[in-house]
Amino acid sequence: MKAKILIILLLSSIFFVGCAQETVNIDVMHDEGKAVMALDYRDFDQAASGMIQSMLGSGALKKDDGSRYVVATARIINDTMQRIDTNQLMAKIEEELLNSGQVVMTSAVGGKGAPDEMVYQVRDIRDSAQGDEFNQDTIAAKGQLVAPELSISGKIFQRNIRYDKNRQQVEYYFQLKITDLTTGLRFWQKETVIGKRGSNKSVAW
Amino acid sequence: MKTITNILLLVAVVVLVGCYAQHDSRVYMREEVRSDSLDSNIVVRTVGRAFGTLIGEGVDVKSAVARRNDAGLLELHIGGYNRSHETKRFRYRVEWLDEDGMVIQNKSSVWMPASAMGKSPFSLKMVAPRPEAVNFRMDTRKWE
Repeated sequence: MKAKILIILLLSSIFFVGCAQETVNIDVMHDEGKAVMALDYRDFDQAASGMIQSMLGSGALKKDDGSRYVVATARIINDTMQRIDTNQLMAKIEEELLNSGQVVMTSAVGGKGAPDEMVYQVRDIRDSAQGDEFNQDTIAAKGQLVAPELSISGKIFQRNIRYDKNRQQVEYYFQLKITDLTTGLRFWQKETVIGKRGSNKSVAW
Repeated sequence: MKTITNILLLVAVVVLVGCYAQHDSRVYMREEVRSDSLDSNIVVRTVGRAFGTLIGEGVDVKSAVARRNDAGLLELHIGGYNRSHETKRFRYRVEWLDEDGMVIQNKSSVWMPASAMGKSPFSLKMVAPRPEAVNFRMDTRKWE
């Protein structure tokens, strides 16, 4: 009887261990995993890379006098059915634009408020009673912030289309544009489409 | 009998050769869009497809031209040809190298999708994200 119980325990442990899905780290450099219906990091990488190449290649960010444009990130609207932090796209683009040496990004102004609230917190401190505690030569004086010259704004939206009886097509549109804030003129614009076709059972949100 | 044979031969030649006329070399007329010719007709295409699949025809890169654009960034133009009859989908990734041959780390060196239609030329364009880039290294892989 004891031997039978042991055998059953052994078999059941093999069965349960065998069924468990192993957790693995994704090779984000050379991921050969299957595509998914929702937007994943590969889609953001692809969209961001295309946008960066187009922005830098267009020459729209090159100033005639050799100096650098001050750029602010305006609102990037997520109009998809997914919860997306649009920073997933913009962080890559901002990093590459900065590293290109062609522009400077501002943390003082942004579509969702200042990207770095500390810019205004130190000014609030300066104007408060606590301001006297600081060496006045090291605290930001008035009129030091540099206004942005260009703004990057955009939208990500999604269209779901019934492809046939069993499949659906999901189209994701990434649209970005660069506007000169002085004149209101648009310097650059690009749309990248990422399309996916898969089972109706897959959920794209 | 001889007349019938001659007519059949004429019809066969017309069917196989078609009414192909040379056109501007800048315009690429794809098979099954352009008129048939001796080297591209219903028989040759069928045999060619089978043979191409058998010998594993694929994509060739014909030219890789790098130049510096107005913004001072290296721009790469790749020209190639898909020898296969089928559309080839693949991914490519470009790494940019500085003057010491070191890879410049950046966010835009990711696997990008590309597609080349059968028996057609294709081109790719990439821009280096930093002015330090003086050379490049390109890798390809199968579309998963």
